[in-house]
Formats: sequence, structure tokens, C-alpha cells
Amino acid sequence: MTGPAPGSRFAPDFLLDLFANPLDPGYADAAAHRAEHGPPAGWRRRGALLLRVVALVATGFLLAVAYRHAIAGEPERSGAHAGLVEEVRSAQARADDLQRRSDDLRRQVTRLQETALGGATQQLRAIREQEAATGLVAVTGNGVVVRLADAPTPIDPTTGKPTGADVSRVLDVDLQSTVNGLWSSGAEAIAVNGQRLTSTSTIRTAGNAILVDFRPVTSPYDVAAIGPADIEERFERSAAAAGMRGLASQYGLGFSARRQADLTLPAAGTDAAPRYAHPVASTPGATPSESPR
Amino acid sequence: MIAVLALVAGVVAGVLLEPTVPVALQPYLPIAVVAALDAVFGGIRAKLDGVFDDKQFVISFVFNVLVAAFIVYLGDQLGVGGQLSTGVVVVLGVRIFGNVAAIRRHLFRA
Repeated sequence: MTGPAPGSRFAPDFLLDLFANPLDPGYADAAAHRAEHGPPAGWRRRGALLLRVVALVATGFLLAVAYRHAIAGEPERSGAHAGLVEEVRSAQARADDLQRRSDDLRRQVTRLQETALGGATQQLRAIREQEAATGLVAVTGNGVVVRLADAPTPIDPTTGKPTGADVSRVLDVDLQSTVNGLWSSGAEAIAVNGQRLTSTSTIRTAGNAILVDFRPVTSPYDVAAIGPADIEERFERSAAAAGMRGLASQYGLGFSARRQADLTLPAAGTDAAPRYAHPVASTPGATPSESPR
Repeated sequence: MIAVLALVAGVVAGVLLEPTVPVALQPYLPIAVVAALDAVFGGIRAKLDGVFDDKQFVISFVFNVLVAAFIVYLGDQLGVGGQLSTGVVVVLGVRIFGNVAAIRRHLFRA
């Protein structure tokens, strides 16, 4: 190792020196000092030894504390996540239970209707037709499945990983126009990702998700519709399909419709019972609110 | 021998006492560990070189930890804490590597 060149405060290859000669020069200085003046007196030796021990104890302490700290930080992070997952699971289990109960009750209602109506098959069939139309019961039949999908995530050509760029997404209006197109093509029952639609169903966006009757559905969206034999051709000719084809070619959204036999659409999860508006009972002394002039 | 015992005693104390690190000091903990390791490996190398000195070791330990923590603190105040931490870790890492290489040469003659 060459020392600093005369007249300069740093060796010209300061970094090289750092890499090649990591030992503190202080050790060498101390050794030289010892060689010159002899070993230190007894009490100073013992004091120095004590300091050395204290420093090493502190080092060990530091290591243990840092290790414990790193270990303790981990479960806290994953713990919160696990708690949320647990909560979601239990809520799903509860929803499944309620769904089973609802199906049970629905079957009971059907049985009671049959016994109550006795042999009146005409009325019974009328009731079944109504139930199918309102989404109260599961239905099967031939129809069409229209698939809408978000555009694929752009891949960074150098890293091969997905870029953070925003992808073109299917919007609630796309889903709405597809569903409306299917209704106008003669669909008798429609389900989006297994979520049956009724006359009061809503399809709308909340944040990044599309909610169908307040339940989130994710891409790809399979809109299954049961209807007449030519429902697929009629849908393909509809304005909704033309609009979606335009979006698909422009933004890379996935859009396809295919005929499918023996579709089974589940009963709707929401209560399709009609709700009536009632006038507010007028209270004496109360004046109707005046409209601002 | 006494050094190893002291180190072990420190680890045992740290495990048994279960100290909680104050939130304000938490960012400096990893850097302090690396700095302390640098001082320890420097001391081991000096021992093997036959030039070990207690005063030098203790001072290098204390100052390494304090300076490393100070640099991180400064970086935090300037808004470049992450980058300065990386710099400190790189420099100390290079020193540790160099010292460990010297220790290896002493122990294995290779």
C-alpha cells in the first residue's frame, strides 16, 4: 500500500485504499506507541479490558435486540393481513349459510304453494312462470354467453414484468349496455358472473370494482342469458354489440359471444318483492315545506 | 475467550431482558448493528495481526455506531435517509468484507 503522495491530503486512489485496506490505522498507531513506550500500567490495562468487555456485551445486546426487532415486526405485518382474510372468510361463510337457509325457505314456499293450490295446475304453472321471470328461482335453458374482459396488462419488454400502466378496463356502462342489449334481444333471464339479474338489479362502479346488486364481480365478466334460439344472432346485430366491438378494437378489451346449451342461472340473491310508496301520514300543525321562490 | 463470553453474555441479556426499542431509535437499529459488526471484525483482524488495542477498539465501536446513526439522522432530516443508509451500509459492508478476508487469510492461509 502506498501512502498519500506528498503534498496531497488524500491518496489519489482513495476508494481503492478504502477497499484494499479496511483496518483502522489507529491499531497500527497504537501498536507503534506500545512498542515505543512499553505496555501500559496494570490498572490501565484492567480498565481497558473492562471497556472492551462492555463494548462486546453492548454489541451482543445490539445484535439480539435487532434480531428480536426484525422478528417481531414480521407477524405484525402479516397478522393484520391474516386478520382481514379471516374476517372475509367468516363473512363469506355466514353469507353461504344465509343463502342455504334462503334456498330452504324457498323450497318450503314452493311445497306449500303446491299443497295450497292442490290440483290447480294452471295457476301453479302461472306462478312458476312469474317466479322464473322475476328471478326468484333458478332457471335452465339454451342461450348465449357474452364475455367481456379488461385489456391485458401491458408487459414491459425489457423486464418481462407487468408495467404499472393503467389498463383499459370494462366499465359499468359497458356491462349495462351489454345486459340491455341482451334483454332487447329477447333474453328471459340474465346472470353476470353467476349473479342473477332482476328487474331491480343495479350494475355500477365502486372504486375499482363493478358491483352487481352490491356484490363485486371481476374481469372476465361472463354475461349469460337464456332466450330464444336466435338470441345470439339478434345480440350480434344489436347496437350494444356493435359498440362493444368498437371498444374492443380501440382499447383491446375482450369481447366475445358464443351460443351455449343447457345454461343454468341461479336464483337472484336479492329480494325482488315489489315495494310500494306510501304517502306520509299528515301530522296536524305541520306545514308543507315551501319551495324557494 | 473473554471476548466471546462477553459477546454471548450480551446476546443472552438481549434475549432475556426483551427490551423494547423506542420508536424514535428504530430507524437507526440496523445501521448501528452493521457499524458494530464493522468494529468487531476490525478488532478480530487486529487481534490476529497482533496489534489489538482495547482503547482503539472501544473508541472505534462507539464512534462507528454514533457516526452511522448520525449520518442516517442527517439523511432523514435532508429527505435522503434511504440513500444515505444505503451508502453507510455499502461502505461498512466493504470494510467488513475486507476485514473478514484478512481474518480468513490469517486462519486458513489462503
